[in-house]
Amino acid sequence: MFSFLRPGILAALVLPALLLAPEVAAGHPMDTQNAAFVQGVDGPAPAPFMYLGAKHMVTGTDHLLFLVGVIFFLYRLRDVVLYVSLFTLGHSVTLLLGVLGGLEVNAYLIDAIIGLSVCYKAFENMGGFERVFNVRPNTKAAVLIFGLFHGLGLATKLQEFTVTDNGLVANILSFNVGVEIGQVLALSAVLIGITLWRMRPSFFRHAFMTNAALMGGGFLLTAQQIFGYFFYP
Amino acid sequence: MAEPVPSPTAPPTSIKRLGIAALASLVVAALVFVGAVLPAERGVDPLGTGELFGLLALAQVVAITAEEDEYRLDAYELPVGPGEWVEYTYRIQEGGTMVYSWTATGPLEYNFHSAPDGAPPGYAESFDAQENDVAHGSYIAPFTGVHGWYWENAGADEVTITLHTAGFYRDAHVARDRADGYRTLRDPRGNPVE
Repeated sequence: MFSFLRPGILAALVLPALLLAPEVAAGHPMDTQNAAFVQGVDGPAPAPFMYLGAKHMVTGTDHLLFLVGVIFFLYRLRDVVLYVSLFTLGHSVTLLLGVLGGLEVNAYLIDAIIGLSVCYKAFENMGGFERVFNVRPNTKAAVLIFGLFHGLGLATKLQEFTVTDNGLVANILSFNVGVEIGQVLALSAVLIGITLWRMRPSFFRHAFMTNAALMGGGFLLTAQQIFGYFFYP
Repeated sequence: MAEPVPSPTAPPTSIKRLGIAALASLVVAALVFVGAVLPAERGVDPLGTGELFGLLALAQVVAITAEEDEYRLDAYELPVGPGEWVEYTYRIQEGGTMVYSWTATGPLEYNFHSAPDGAPPGYAESFDAQENDVAHGSYIAPFTGVHGWYWENAGADEVTITLHTAGFYRDAHVARDRADGYRTLRDPRGNPVE
């Protein structure tokens, strides 16, 4: 009925548009207003940090595209919960350790790896690993490991601001809880969309193209970060 | 316990098609990046597409803001006796900028606060409240109204504040618990400012 929409082509058009959202192109930092708030905080502020975490996730195209790739072929709710839990475990660990341990990593390089994680997942969804290398790397391990990198990315965003030690743990935890809330919100929307699409035969016809578009989105994210690394250090 | 999964990946395809798709995604990403993102975000326009589609305008940083009020400057020494407070404010239009610097001979409780026109009496938004003997900065008025400092001396000795400001404001107003009224702006040499 809606076959004229050609979801694959639609995705190819919509993805770059999403990526051009200003916060993505600028390396997805927080707004200056929010940043000013974070810098002014001295003590635990659970609600604001939860809001910032949720906002970062809902507006963070890099994290969202990766999750789209992860749940693209997950049909059962059990699997969705399992994979998303692995991702959550991964990024929670590095967010906490990264900020608490004062880990200094380059935000551009981490975000470039996060962009490549989208390409990896898309290539996996396209059946690329079986076809080219005749093996399929452990998908659960991949989600967990990339989750660790996404967490480092989250940590660098918080570290860009002088978060005082006063109430630091409470604020990181709040930020992390917010990230999970934002993730659930965004995932719900994506899941509804993909589930509806799966009911149509066009899903399989365009699954390959859609993941190719996803891969393009990952490359675009990576290109922006690599450019930033060399020209705006 | 292998359960049947409908399809873990897209339907099988050839290596050639995989290669074309991966390469195409890379080329499209590169084109979008060089043709749209670089001109719009960084003002870099290697393909000329930024000029062609007017994307370069997005990359221009707005570094200058025109002001409505006249440029003025002001210097003021305010003594604050033990247990006393003083408030010093200006009228600033929305978006009006002021740079300021003050030092005091002792620590004071202070805040910078602003009251929009038409706000109920006593209403003010506080932007910087702490105890210190110095503060330097710039301020852009978020709304039209009165904007300024409140200092309170909780110590046992008199403290003198030396304040210097410059910017787009008028109507300096001093308030103390004993008296209040408007004050003529003065430059650092003590000459009155129009």
